[in-house]
Amino acid sequence: MLTVIHIVNQYFGGLGGEEKAGSPVVVVEGAAGAARGLQAQLGDRGKVVATIYYGDNYFHEHVEEAKGVIVREVEKRRPDVVVAGPAFNSGRYGLASVEICQAVAEGLGIGCVVGMDSENPAVSAYREYRNMRVYLLPTAESAAGMTKALSLMARFAYRVGSGAEIGSAGEEGYLPRGIRRLQRTDRPGVERAIDILLKKVAGKPFVTEVPMEVWDQVAPAAPLADSSSATIAVITTSGVVPWGNPDGFKTYRNTFWRKYNIAELGALEPGRWEAVHGGYNVSYMNQNPHYGVPLDALRALEAKGKIGKGKLYPAYYVVPGNQGSPSVMKRIGQEIAADLRKEGVGGVLLVAT
Amino acid sequence: MITKELDRAGFPVALISAMYPVAEQVGASRIVKGVSIPHPCGDPSLPAEIDAQLRQEIVETALKALQSEVKAPTVFLPHMAVSA
Repeated sequence: MLTVIHIVNQYFGGLGGEEKAGSPVVVVEGAAGAARGLQAQLGDRGKVVATIYYGDNYFHEHVEEAKGVIVREVEKRRPDVVVAGPAFNSGRYGLASVEICQAVAEGLGIGCVVGMDSENPAVSAYREYRNMRVYLLPTAESAAGMTKALSLMARFAYRVGSGAEIGSAGEEGYLPRGIRRLQRTDRPGVERAIDILLKKVAGKPFVTEVPMEVWDQVAPAAPLADSSSATIAVITTSGVVPWGNPDGFKTYRNTFWRKYNIAELGALEPGRWEAVHGGYNVSYMNQNPHYGVPLDALRALEAKGKIGKGKLYPAYYVVPGNQGSPSVMKRIGQEIAADLRKEGVGGVLLVAT
Repeated sequence: MITKELDRAGFPVALISAMYPVAEQVGASRIVKGVSIPHPCGDPSLPAEIDAQLRQEIVETALKALQSEVKAPTVFLPHMAVSA
């Protein structure tokens, strides 16, 4: 019989609603609150040995502490599988559930099953973590779908907990994490590819073997009427920074940006700048920082009138781009946009490596 | 990622990158083909003055991109001629 720990928020733990959202982590032996429903769905196949619940606000205001307590309590009992949620469309609960599953899977190597509505904003955090041990099952939007959700989650948790081989997201019904796994088949790739192509050309339905991530589309901003009348700013993700890296950028996964002065400079002298970036060979950039911040060219164009005199923004913006998480880079883009607006910039060049 | 936030905020932005197919796919709107990943704005195998000219051509192409109306991800290719 499998052992399971069910981790829920204060409401589904039976403590109370919003007024109890500040409560700290509580551990109860056996099944309590919604965990009783999970136990009913598990039947004889599994036993909920403990129910852990936490306040929705408490978790987000004390993330590291809450995660620490929860991981320790799970470690004490070493269950076969951990279940979190279902959070339905609750953002705080959904995100807390994803964070907890990530901490348990990473820290203890225990498989986790979490449930929520597929439109829950926490789904993107789940995708970004892309943890092979965490499976997110889509549920209804509200607790009206509780029984169905628990039934699905109990069945899946049983398989994860018993070490069963779990197939692809498409086959099994959990939300894809963007993990690609190699599989053997008996037909060579060229045959399979031609098969798909023939179907596509004939307008018949086909299933791709390699689904591509869908990115949100943005309408292009209106063009500048005239580049010489606008203030032009340069951003680079090449990681060129003043020698000595005064703001301590890492070579990967940075979370902030900086501006560095170029006001009186006609060019970037090698030796005064360095490239901090773990994702490409920085030797060229170190020898000639203009490859990332083309200041010499910009000044030449300013002299020719393609950029208005004095219209090159007197600093350049930088964040080394290596392994930047999409949500972090999105935030950085928004922050830089706010600064550009404040500074009256009109058009931007972004040099990427 | 960053260029899309700038477009969203109304700033025309020209992305100079060697990986222009990825940029198109991700949805950057104005893309200028850079020379190579470790040196997008130039070519270290060229003599210094020609490398500098190439850099100006790339940046000028970016300025042109900023002044161009685009409806979908568009790649601008720098081109230049060097006389002997």
